[in-house]
Amino acid sequence: MPKITINDQQYEAPPGKTIIEVADEVGVQIPRYCYHPDIGVEGSCRMCLVEVEKSPKLTPACATPIADGMIVRTTTPRVQQAVRYAMEFLLLHHPIDCPVCDQSGECWLQDYYMDHARHTSRYPGTQKTQRLKAHTLGPLVKLDRERCILCTRCVRFTRNVTQTNEITVFHRGHASEIGVAGDRPFDNPYSVNVVDVCPVGALTSTDFRFKVRAWFLQGTSSICAGCSTGCNLRIDHSARALGGGAPGYSATEGTIYRTVGRRNVEVNKSWLCDEGRLSFHTMERWPRLRAAREHGSPRTVAELLPVVHQRFEAIREQYGPAAVAALGSATNTNEALFLLKKYFHNRVDFRLGDEVETYRKRQDDLLRRWDKHPNTRGALDLGLGGDLGGLRGLREMAERRQIRGMWIAFHPQLVGEDAREIVDELRRLVDALEFSVVSATHDFPWMANARIVLPMAGWAEEKGTYTNFAGRVQITARAVAPPGDARPLHLMMSELLALAGVQVSADPAAIFDWIAREVPLYADMDYDAIGPLGIVPPARPAAEIEPETEMVR
Amino acid sequence: MTPARGGYAVDVPVINVSERARREPASVWSTFLAFGVTLRRLFLSLFKGDMPTIQYPEQQRNYSERFRGTHILTVRDDGSLKCVACYMCATICPAECIYIEAGEHPNPEIEKYPRRFDIDMLRCIYCGFCVDACPEEAIILSREHHQSAYTREETIYPIEKLIARPGIDMKGPGYRPNRPFAEAKLLDRQAQTTCPYPSTAGERHPAVLYESMILKRQ
Repeated sequence: MPKITINDQQYEAPPGKTIIEVADEVGVQIPRYCYHPDIGVEGSCRMCLVEVEKSPKLTPACATPIADGMIVRTTTPRVQQAVRYAMEFLLLHHPIDCPVCDQSGECWLQDYYMDHARHTSRYPGTQKTQRLKAHTLGPLVKLDRERCILCTRCVRFTRNVTQTNEITVFHRGHASEIGVAGDRPFDNPYSVNVVDVCPVGALTSTDFRFKVRAWFLQGTSSICAGCSTGCNLRIDHSARALGGGAPGYSATEGTIYRTVGRRNVEVNKSWLCDEGRLSFHTMERWPRLRAAREHGSPRTVAELLPVVHQRFEAIREQYGPAAVAALGSATNTNEALFLLKKYFHNRVDFRLGDEVETYRKRQDDLLRRWDKHPNTRGALDLGLGGDLGGLRGLREMAERRQIRGMWIAFHPQLVGEDAREIVDELRRLVDALEFSVVSATHDFPWMANARIVLPMAGWAEEKGTYTNFAGRVQITARAVAPPGDARPLHLMMSELLALAGVQVSADPAAIFDWIAREVPLYADMDYDAIGPLGIVPPARPAAEIEPETEMVR
Repeated sequence: MTPARGGYAVDVPVINVSERARREPASVWSTFLAFGVTLRRLFLSLFKGDMPTIQYPEQQRNYSERFRGTHILTVRDDGSLKCVACYMCATICPAECIYIEAGEHPNPEIEKYPRRFDIDMLRCIYCGFCVDACPEEAIILSREHHQSAYTREETIYPIEKLIARPGIDMKGPGYRPNRPFAEAKLLDRQAQTTCPYPSTAGERHPAVLYESMILKRQ
């Protein structure tokens, strides 16, 4: 292993790595615009210049492989001056329209200007080159050529990652500018990733534009619930009230403003598909269920849970234990499904459609998968389903009066629409049941005939774990509060179990410890050890583990 | 009146009232003297028109040009708001009384404008930070200080009320420290076309530097 010295500190790194990769790993800060770990090296911005001993010129750290005995310095006056002049050139024609720029507050130009440059412009404002502003590049991306620093990250994203090659650099020298040939729309299914990689405000997301300034946002690391891939993302939500004067503005529940890809080399690298990225809007598509109701009259969840328990007990006594069952969905967390399984004595199914057949099937070469539920693998790992036959089987059993009482926990699909057959089956199931409890996130028309309707917390409103298609257990976090009286399913289940005489903690970590004790696949797992990137259970047989990284080119 | 150190860092003359009362005992004469003052003021105000008070609210005093009263949103020549919805005022506001919703302006040169701009006058503490923070001099304060209303909703001022209301015409603008800069930006074409900052202090031009580096290497 070559030994390399960075700023008088010796490190060892495998051969073939570049200086900037080693520096990132050991925590030495090197400024960069064009370098991004997942889209290849360009070396055009000249920000990562470092001094390498015995080299006459400064060397770009992103494009220089390490060698044994290399001595690198990143803080010498020569390096500082080079970075400073690079910044001055990059900012020469910058419009400095930070007040209207959406990137302001998370702009790399702002950050590196304060860190490394702090120069006064030598160029009069009126002589700056004017270019195209607020140009609609595609349905989800807007381009501002004045702000562009030509780092070509977006060009390399479409060239190397999606391999669609839409964005490219036109003209040469000072006239260079990025664009799409023939002004065709930039609309590949991963287009908003170029906004994530853009270090400046040149590419902005039409969806997020002008919604909120970046410094009002608070980030929460979570998991996308759009499909079974389980991409890592950061939910940016309101951190505090944006102004007390506005009537109807609530600081307590919070709003999600956007989601941004979070780097996990094993799962999604840095990318998200557009559907998954915008899937948080699905939560606003239908009216949210804010209060519980019984026979259509409003009640609270706290007073209805004992009623639910009594009715289920009565049905079990009268018709036998098999007359009560539950239907979860693969959007519920492992914790919720596990407690559901405990309360309903294994008579729990989660299959609404063809999740089990499709959860490993790719929709394209990158990230998307056909199963639009995040936790199908987790539900299978917990041993749910069995001989109940999914939604259709449960409906048939209910119509044959084999099942009389049922709890239906329903999350809508965050990506795409729920199939019409599923909604029809659910309506028929509710109609066939003697006693039906529906816990749902939204007020859907099909549950009009349900005896008891309970509001349930949706994605980003509850904490728990999802298991992605490859068996990686990852934490989905709570970013905002559930609306009104809504509660996470695992909370309602722990209260029902307490009524049944089983004391369970309502904390997802404690429930996961119980899972680790009881489910052989999750043996020896610790909730606190899962961390932001998730872990593959050590007990999982190697043959079952899907290769994940192969998906990203 | 004896100078004394009343716990202050500097010597402050402290009037000892009880001592003064001992020196100047009350008398019938001083009572009549006081009545005399009253009668003289009555006579002056009745016949000479010498009034120390004014007939508020019909009459109002003129306040300082730096008075920090109710906000004004300034407009461009075409009557549109100068505000670009950068949220600087809402960010700095210690009372969190400014609520802005930004929208996409049809003109890409302007790009952003406030679709909604509300100031809750009951929350506002009139510190003037919003004016200091504004990069466009789009928000200034006026010399108006009437916010009395019948309902709370009326005290939340929307854009229309912040642009124009009778109080602004009556009292005029107040605190606007950035006016010289804003006017220079608009009027002084010379300042815009010539480079205002020739070089940073004590720093050589890159070309000079590279030359010296090459010389050194030789």
